[in-house]
Amino acid sequence: MEQTPFLVVDGISKSFGSTRALDSVSIAVHQGTVFGLAGENGAGKSTLIKLLCGVYQPDQGRITFAGRPHHPRDPEEAERAGISVFHQEIPVCPNLSIAANVFLGPSMPKRGLAPDWRTMNRQCVQLYGNLLGEDIDPKRLIRDCTAAEKQLALLVRVLSREARLVILDEPTTALTPPEVARLFGIIRRLQAQGITFIFISHMLEELMELSDTITVLRDGRNEGILGKAEFDGRTLSALIVGRTLAGRPDKQALKSSAEHLVVRSLGLPGEFQDVSFSVRKGEIFGLAGLAGSGRSAVARALFGAPPAQSGEILVDGVRRHIDRPRAAVEAGIGYIPEDRKALGIFNDLDVKLNLCMAGIDRFSPRGVLDKRKLRRVTAQMRDGMSIKMQSADASIRSLSGGNQQKVMISRWLALKPVILVMNEPTRGVDVGAKQEISELILKLASEGYTFVISSSELEELIHLSDWIMVFNRGRVARLLPGSEATKEQLILAATT
Amino acid sequence: MDAMSQPRRTALQRILGLRDFGVLVAALLIAAFFSIATPVFLTSYNLFNLLRQTSQLGIISMAMTLLIVSGEFDLSVGAIYAVTGVVTGILVNKLGMSIWVSASAGMVAGLALGYLNGLLIATTRINSFIATLSTMMVFRGLALVLSQAQPISLQLSFFMDLFGRAELFGVVPVPIVWMLGWGVAMYLLLHRTAFGVKVFATGDNREAADLAGIKTMRVKRVGFLITALAAGISAVISLSFLKTVTPTQGTGLELEAIAASVIGGTAMSGGVGSILGTFLGTFIMAEVRTGLVLLGTDAYIQDAFVGLVIALAVIINVRLSSRRK
Repeated sequence: MEQTPFLVVDGISKSFGSTRALDSVSIAVHQGTVFGLAGENGAGKSTLIKLLCGVYQPDQGRITFAGRPHHPRDPEEAERAGISVFHQEIPVCPNLSIAANVFLGPSMPKRGLAPDWRTMNRQCVQLYGNLLGEDIDPKRLIRDCTAAEKQLALLVRVLSREARLVILDEPTTALTPPEVARLFGIIRRLQAQGITFIFISHMLEELMELSDTITVLRDGRNEGILGKAEFDGRTLSALIVGRTLAGRPDKQALKSSAEHLVVRSLGLPGEFQDVSFSVRKGEIFGLAGLAGSGRSAVARALFGAPPAQSGEILVDGVRRHIDRPRAAVEAGIGYIPEDRKALGIFNDLDVKLNLCMAGIDRFSPRGVLDKRKLRRVTAQMRDGMSIKMQSADASIRSLSGGNQQKVMISRWLALKPVILVMNEPTRGVDVGAKQEISELILKLASEGYTFVISSSELEELIHLSDWIMVFNRGRVARLLPGSEATKEQLILAATT
Repeated sequence: MDAMSQPRRTALQRILGLRDFGVLVAALLIAAFFSIATPVFLTSYNLFNLLRQTSQLGIISMAMTLLIVSGEFDLSVGAIYAVTGVVTGILVNKLGMSIWVSASAGMVAGLALGYLNGLLIATTRINSFIATLSTMMVFRGLALVLSQAQPISLQLSFFMDLFGRAELFGVVPVPIVWMLGWGVAMYLLLHRTAFGVKVFATGDNREAADLAGIKTMRVKRVGFLITALAAGISAVISLSFLKTVTPTQGTGLELEAIAASVIGGTAMSGGVGSILGTFLGTFIMAEVRTGLVLLGTDAYIQDAFVGLVIALAVIINVRLSSRRK
């Protein structure tokens, strides 16, 4: 079906000061397709999106949408033209119902001055049925909905306002795999109804699964366009990073034989039960499973946040009573949480305090802050971990996601705990930084640090782990050596 | 010295980069305005008087800043201030105990109330606005019941001189000395100790602080104790200077303390604030009040002006911090 593209971006450029965010980028999106957009953080994806929806205005170039020039001055104008964006953070009114969130705005059905709830609820059910093929209770409050249901409510909201091009900006980060599958099903259904999508994701598998074509941006330029037949993980990541990612390195044979961490029949009602494993010094122990399968709850329990209610944890053969994070720190266990922004970073503090936070008592003789020592520790970590930063006194916000993650890891290395528990070690960092953090983990393991890693990215787990334990509904489903594990085996064990 | 290639900054740049610099400029501008408007303003007598009057508020504000930085605040400080005074007065007058013992007992009573605040918030996890709003009314009731709603007069003694009436070198009223001493202690505690870092971390991101092994609840409880201690010290200064205690003293003091912190650049959301800023914030409030009195302004309009200053300070602060990003 050769036709003029629905959206044409022709040679568009945008600079911020001396930084060229976009350098004559051109794309063409056909109606009813899913247009995949890939690239590292800072490659220009968000700038492009913001130009399309009127947050920024281009310095050069033209945009044509549905045959007409498209130069919106603000997001409202873009929305009127039929382009809607779907952000990572979902803005909703949690204390209102699904129907109210769908219709909120000047065009809300009213009876006199009061909202017409009956009409709204009826129309809402119809919309869900027609658009998504789903049945819902329109009176449920948004705050009782899962992240996936909130997203769907927003999707219905924009579609009910005649959106014809929907930009999905990392829509899957907050979703569990079954929810992702459901969202993809809905997107395909909408696609068949003629809705066009631009889909942005760090997850290459998702991009390849859903998109009809994938365009890669790098340093603000078009780097390549792949058609469906050319989709391939290695090609794609090579285009994104600009170099070929190294394959899986050979695992060293057997490491030292001392059992560093032993977990015996750990249990936490409602989360997991009867979990036992042991990790040798220098080993990387992977925890796999769907979200809610208990793997991340186990990781958190190792750090006492919250603690397990039964079973025991031994470090170097000594039984440790880990009832809170402090106790874990004293036992030599560090924890790197899954959500760096919400659970890790102190936004208003500088790099050195962020880095030294867990050891602040140790670095402060008699409780008095020794800033020189903090700077020295930070400098050591910066050199050892190659963290890119201006100075130890710079704001933590001036660091990129990958470098912030390295600061999070350093927070524990500075303290020299020997067991590092990581939950989603590379979430929210771009492909290049992902690779770098993986290499770092392997290097640290070879230096004798012991890792327990819980991750939803199977390839990452297979790449890193000496052992992989698969969880299924709170129970251990399988334990595999990393060298023999395949994705199919892991998925099978996690889902059946 | 170390490998951190820190960009060299001139002294001027460093001063200009300071958060508190804007507050200092504001304080100086207001001082300049009143100095021009009325010749009495810029006299040592007036300035010392102004500082003496604000010393009780200053002591409480600086403690309140620490608590706000940790992510909580305390509406009951004014009532704790009253209870400390009333307990002291009763012990001296009704039981004939020495002023030293009585004042110590009063401060211990105040600390106990601060401990209760911390306990209430730690065990129930109620928001501190609601929790301390209720304890404010309970503590105030306690002060009224204990004193039978009557003011208590005290005898002059060396104690009074030491805490409220003496003048160092014959010029500096002693409450100012106590305020500065407390200010230095608070500054060191918040900006120069590991505990201070934990206070900032707790207010900045509570969950992250917990996961970094910080006992955030303990940090907050210590914060409530410190504000209660500050209320106690202020109450002792007040009763020493006035020779009298009333159960209704300190009504509204909690809001003034919060206002001074906010003018000084403390963020109500926690994690941002400085003792020096709060000191200057207290000073600005005192300047505006005293200046307006000297100009012969109607006393009833003063609060309105202080209100405007708060709004202005917050607007400027928000602008500045968004530009810094």
